[in-house]
Amino acid sequence: MPRFKEASKQDRARFARVRLPNVYRELRGMVVNTGMLTIGRRSLLKAGAIVGGLQVASPFIIKARGETPVKIGFIDPITGSLSALAVTEVEAAKWTVAQMNKTGGILGRPVELLIEDSANDTGTGVQKAHKLIERDNVDVIIGDVNSGIAYAIMGVTAEKGILHIVPGGHTDPITGTDCKWNTYRTCNTSAMDTAAISGELLKRFGKKWFFVTPDYAYGKTLQANFIKKLTAAGGTFEGDMLPIATSDFSATLIKAKAFKPDVLLNNMGGSAQINCMKQFLQFGMSKDMALGGALFEIESVRSVPKEAQAGWWCMEWYWNNPSVPAVKTFVDAISPSIGKKPTARHWMAYVSVHAFKMAAEKAKSLKGIDMAHAMADMELPPEISLMPGKIRYRAGDHQLMSDIHIGQMHPPEGDPDNYFTISSTVTGEEAAGSVESTGCKMVFPT
Amino acid sequence: MNGLLRHKYATTAIIWVLLLTVPLWLPLLGGYTALAGRVLVFGLAAMSFNMLLGFTGVMSFGHAAYFGLGAYGCGLFLKYVTPSTPLAMIAGTLLGGIAGTLFGLLLVRRRGVYFAMVTIAFGQVCFYIAYKWDDFTGGYDGLRGFARAPIDFGAFKIDIANNSTAFYFFIVLVFGLAAAAQAFILRSPFGRTLLAIRENERRARFLGIPIEKHIWLSFSISCFFTALAGSLYALLNNFADPLGLNYIMSGNIVMITVMGGMRAFWGPLVGAVLFVMLQDYVSSMTTNWMFFVGLTFVCVVLFFPRGLMGMFQKGAKT
Repeated sequence: MPRFKEASKQDRARFARVRLPNVYRELRGMVVNTGMLTIGRRSLLKAGAIVGGLQVASPFIIKARGETPVKIGFIDPITGSLSALAVTEVEAAKWTVAQMNKTGGILGRPVELLIEDSANDTGTGVQKAHKLIERDNVDVIIGDVNSGIAYAIMGVTAEKGILHIVPGGHTDPITGTDCKWNTYRTCNTSAMDTAAISGELLKRFGKKWFFVTPDYAYGKTLQANFIKKLTAAGGTFEGDMLPIATSDFSATLIKAKAFKPDVLLNNMGGSAQINCMKQFLQFGMSKDMALGGALFEIESVRSVPKEAQAGWWCMEWYWNNPSVPAVKTFVDAISPSIGKKPTARHWMAYVSVHAFKMAAEKAKSLKGIDMAHAMADMELPPEISLMPGKIRYRAGDHQLMSDIHIGQMHPPEGDPDNYFTISSTVTGEEAAGSVESTGCKMVFPT
Repeated sequence: MNGLLRHKYATTAIIWVLLLTVPLWLPLLGGYTALAGRVLVFGLAAMSFNMLLGFTGVMSFGHAAYFGLGAYGCGLFLKYVTPSTPLAMIAGTLLGGIAGTLFGLLLVRRRGVYFAMVTIAFGQVCFYIAYKWDDFTGGYDGLRGFARAPIDFGAFKIDIANNSTAFYFFIVLVFGLAAAAQAFILRSPFGRTLLAIRENERRARFLGIPIEKHIWLSFSISCFFTALAGSLYALLNNFADPLGLNYIMSGNIVMITVMGGMRAFWGPLVGAVLFVMLQDYVSSMTTNWMFFVGLTFVCVVLFFPRGLMGMFQKGAKT
């Protein structure tokens, strides 16, 4: 206390000078004394706020319209735990649209791609769908990687009667029990992926499985489908459902170690799957059990240590497939602009954007209902499908009957991006089963 | 009428004129009506929260719980009970409000950081219930399968389901009623007592004011209004999701309030305009939009500690 009192007048003045309001006073003093302007701090701040507001406001100014472009609204979780997958899809969508604009666009009109970040949050995704439809008047909505968000956006697009293509959200009900007339899906259902890989896992490793599954739409249907296949074969299982963005898997992995399964099915996605793989190695579990499951996407494979680049998985599309000549043409065209080999996510966005173009040109209209009718049983030509078989969007459930590759993951061989070897290919029809089995009852508005 | 009062009335008049003419001017600026609805919903939530923070001086970090419960209450009612919008809103408001009233009983003796911590804990409890109770709430994927229903007055019908402008005015109406009720409460002797508690709790206690009872009441009222905002949010999206109960949403509510100005009645609404606009527009331009929202918040706190509305308040003390 006494020390404080002893502080001299100069000390106090010096101390006071560093306080923020005095900086303003000095600035103001400078302005006023030089006779430039007589302006108060408050007015200065108000002006600042207004200028700042204009910065935010500027993008809404409507530009002069020449030829009205066809608008594609693309919603994906560019931030959050699935961002790596979303960024890939966005990359491919941008490239595809740029190519389209070079070759005449859609219905002779230029194409504009409007990208929105759903931030891996369902509420934000729904808001962005409203924004794209109500403000930007998009002709189609493509999205989302996150099944739950894709599912929620369907509610908005169906209500507004806009064509909706889900490029990469796998949960079954989207083209199953909750299918909608306006929604088509490019990636497989989780039922298709599990049907394709289950036999291989049972044959190669055994009937004792452990699941690490994300606790949302995709994970739940995936695990339920695996369990169905496994119990039908008389197997046993254990597993944990974890939040979608889990980063610490120690408790679950200890449980897995104690269970001693033949194979650990890592169903997580994005950065969660990568973390799980890394911890799996740190726990020294790669010697005790095999790895496998539905999806281990190249985006994630790139980020895990060599020892975890292993196991048997589905691959929804793969760049190294000499049996399909169109694949090489596509890979050679897109690789220079993305700086690496394309992945299944590039393919999903590429196919989805092209499917929209085909539907619009077949219907000669951009109305949701016309395009939705046109897409039913629409077969994709090989340069778009990039698949060995003839694939189409099935009319009964609006699901793309895409071929599914089964194979083994390994550290890069030959090409630095060659992580996978295709051992067999299952057709979509075979994996998906009948329309009745999906539970979809397609009803178009009259 | 003195200058201060005139200033106050002018602000209120400007706000109402702007709100009522939204469908005329917002599309010209490239906005869309659902965005204005969102601003009002967050504005109402933040104004309700501000009854507690700005006018009672107690910091809750778990208001998303009541907001989210309002949304779930409304959605669940529409889905499982009957598709009636007003009844669903009442159900949502009651669910969030009663939960807040009960939690409030356990909270009132805590102060400062302890109060904030306990509110976070309650918020997360509600979040995990919604997240884990899959069959009933839809889990992480959120509650789907309900939609707002047109309001039937017998003689005529207001189609808030398909007409977005009608729905916007419905939100304005609810917002207006809620704001009027809040202003009435804050101007009553009870509201003045809350200010006394905020200014000097010990002195208020010595004056014989039952502090705990007042804080509890203030907390409950605030929760009822927040839940009302939540039920509007469910109607706006036709969807309720567990992240609406999460502490991140609580943080957003606090940010909106502080940015707008927690000593001003309309401050949180202005904060909501800034926050929702920033989130909506900047996130279309860059993936690093959260950085800009955060930066704005830091700037507001550093340079306008009384918030945006506080800046325009000339020498006002409340």
